[in-house]
Amino acid sequence: MCAAQQSGDVFDPKKVRRLIELMQEHDLSELDLEQGDSRVRIRRGGQVVTVAQPAAAAPRAAAPEAAPAAAKADADAGMVIIKSPMVGTFYRASGPDASPFIKVGDRIGPDKTVCIIEAMKVFNEIPAGVSGQVVAILVENGAPIEFGQPLVKVDPAG
Amino acid sequence: MFKRILIANRGEIALRVIRACRELGIETVAIFSEADRDAPYLELADEAICVGSARAADSYLRIDRVISAAEIGNVQAIHPGYGFLSENAHFAEVCRSCDIVFIGPTPEAMQRLGDKNSARTLAREAGVPTVPGSDGLVSSEQDAVRIAREIGFPVLLKATAGGGGKGMRVAANDLSLASAWQQASAEAQAAFGNPGIYIERYVERPRHVEIQILGDQHGNVVHLWERDCSTQRRHQKLIEESPSPRLPQATREAMAAAAVRLAKVAGYHSAGTVEFIVDQSDNFYFIEVNARIQVEHPVSEMVTGIDLVKSQIRVAAGEQLDLRQEAIVPRGHAIECRINAEDPAANFRPNPGRIERIIAPGGFGVRWDSHATAGYVVPPHYDSLVGKLIVHQPTRRQAIDTMIRALKELRVTGIRTTVPLHLEVLANTAFHEAQVDTTFVERMLAG
Repeated sequence: MCAAQQSGDVFDPKKVRRLIELMQEHDLSELDLEQGDSRVRIRRGGQVVTVAQPAAAAPRAAAPEAAPAAAKADADAGMVIIKSPMVGTFYRASGPDASPFIKVGDRIGPDKTVCIIEAMKVFNEIPAGVSGQVVAILVENGAPIEFGQPLVKVDPAG
Repeated sequence: MFKRILIANRGEIALRVIRACRELGIETVAIFSEADRDAPYLELADEAICVGSARAADSYLRIDRVISAAEIGNVQAIHPGYGFLSENAHFAEVCRSCDIVFIGPTPEAMQRLGDKNSARTLAREAGVPTVPGSDGLVSSEQDAVRIAREIGFPVLLKATAGGGGKGMRVAANDLSLASAWQQASAEAQAAFGNPGIYIERYVERPRHVEIQILGDQHGNVVHLWERDCSTQRRHQKLIEESPSPRLPQATREAMAAAAVRLAKVAGYHSAGTVEFIVDQSDNFYFIEVNARIQVEHPVSEMVTGIDLVKSQIRVAAGEQLDLRQEAIVPRGHAIECRINAEDPAANFRPNPGRIERIIAPGGFGVRWDSHATAGYVVPPHYDSLVGKLIVHQPTRRQAIDTMIRALKELRVTGIRTTVPLHLEVLANTAFHEAQVDTTFVERMLAG
């Protein structure tokens, strides 16, 4: 994003950082600037953009992430994400030889077990909590899971 | 030595432990609640795992999630920091049964010393002077009156499971004792789930002086001398320093020796602090043990040159303490100011919010231990500590001057902090002349 390094041009990291600060101060969601044949367009996504240290990294980190976050928000509109209520290891089936609890395309109800999360040697069955059609399984079998991690995407209208 | 450690804490102490681990070549796993998702120090850890939503009870205090995080993070040990689970014997027990080393004392030593009342009993066993008081918990209001008359008014009622100044009441006579007893009990039940109260004679205008101890798993215990923490407001420490000014050398040595004796009798290892109060005649009395690393540990680090957190990690890994007591000689004078997100102009109302700008002080003899950066949002769910400003100089006078200079250099915009209060204390004649006891700040504020 910040390719050119000369000061005085719109891609100067200092200037981009200042633009981002201005956007936050005035709660702007999009900024589109043209100067000659250079153009800078910055869009803030649904996430809070924190101007964190180190200062030099901030413009690089904030601007590109803002666009993917916005794009993701569009694709997820109307979808329900089943999130992990605990910390542990994710399993798609009750055993290595068993078939997965759910697969993409399945229609499920709120009591349907979607996965197992193992924590401290205890296997916890996780219910869907929602009705709809399974759109995507967001975690690989055997992956470590943190609290709040998105597990399954469900289309409630499906 | 451990390959990987999980830090079961947040904020400045999490950063402190991460730093020690990085220097020891140990990988780190940090945990965070949803309120701490954007905490800047998380990127310094090798891995960061979300353990729950904002409330401490739903995240940092969730033993099951902390242990799960330790398991998926593949760590050999957990450093609990201070607060949260650091003095939770059950948590230390769970770590042990899951084959994870708890970086701190054994659950048994923690229990022996963590319960204030049992600690007093151990202290008497170890020949450590205690404040005249009840021989155990007070069973009723009548019992309280009888004991109070025996030891003499004024008395202080204290929660056995207490900390942070909660569950404490002073009673000057029989009449006020009844309501003091009820209030202290209720507050203790609410704050700690344990209404147990014991009574001590109330020492007027005491100094709070504590001894830093460090033990290994081979029975060796040393002390790192004292810290004077008399500058408090509502039992919360504001400023700590070492050495304790105006403390006679003989008293200092007797206290330090007593602290080491107590640690040995209790089978204590790792870092810990033995707290005493010192009366106007320089008599000292044991109060309690804090079985963990403390907020103000940098003060002792500066005067002794010993890294306490690294020492904790080393002794937890089974290493023998490479320290002889004779070699632990304090040099110079160190002072720490706790910079909290509180508004001194609004009765110290907590002031969480977004730090717009922060300029950290520096220079010769200045240490800034803080996780705060520009843009950092101080969350409302935890303590209000923004950072610790520590200075170390050859003399107390110089340390005070440097601290004043550093406080003025520190700029935090976006939230209010306690800097003005610290400056007021450091400009105060009584503080310069070391005529400070635990009532000093409140008397100064009352004008």
